[in-house]
Amino acid sequence: MISIILQQEAIDAASIIGQAGTAADGAVVSFTGRVRTPSREKTVLSIDYEVYGEMAQKQLRKIAEEACSRWPLSHCTIVHRYGGVAVGEASIVIVASSPHRKEAFQAVQFIIDTVKEEVPIWKKEFYSDGSNWVHEKE
Amino acid sequence: MKIKIKAFASAREAFGFDEKELTVSDGIAVKDVIRQLAKSYQPAPGRDMHLLYSINEEYCRDDATLSEGDRLAIFPPVSGG
Repeated sequence: MISIILQQEAIDAASIIGQAGTAADGAVVSFTGRVRTPSREKTVLSIDYEVYGEMAQKQLRKIAEEACSRWPLSHCTIVHRYGGVAVGEASIVIVASSPHRKEAFQAVQFIIDTVKEEVPIWKKEFYSDGSNWVHEKE
Repeated sequence: MKIKIKAFASAREAFGFDEKELTVSDGIAVKDVIRQLAKSYQPAPGRDMHLLYSINEEYCRDDATLSEGDRLAIFPPVSGG
């Protein structure tokens, strides 16, 4: 089962983890990406995430489907925030469940790596003295 | 023919719009639409930015051609997660 959510409000990771998996799943693996400071030697106050909603939904679903085809996942949930996210808050939560841990770990690693490469979401960091679009590869 | 075009993040700021409809010649390539748009491009630091493109929410190259009603999007390299 795949669940893709783009939301403005805070992510309730515990609830997503609690609902993941079936009796056959010995492993529920989660990844939480959080807004951090400092970044590029500047004190970050918050990040504003801009999302191309329709395309991000499609891309996230493709990535989840790819993960489900590579590993035996019973659940795969990807939640990404948009709008302002404060330091320490989660910007993304990924949860995958499978009978054994190895597959779920690999799937979650694959998903976060691919999200960062392919999903049309952009972050703008806000500092006490200005703001800047972030391009990961810079 | 008419197409819709969306711009995101630094591309939205540089081009100065988030969404608009354009009338273009049939079968025009993405790069020629960008060239047309660039005439109103602000001389901002983002002028030489690396851009990515999608048509109808699928990534495409800049030599892809457009059809009536297509939804073109232009944006910088992604940085989500």
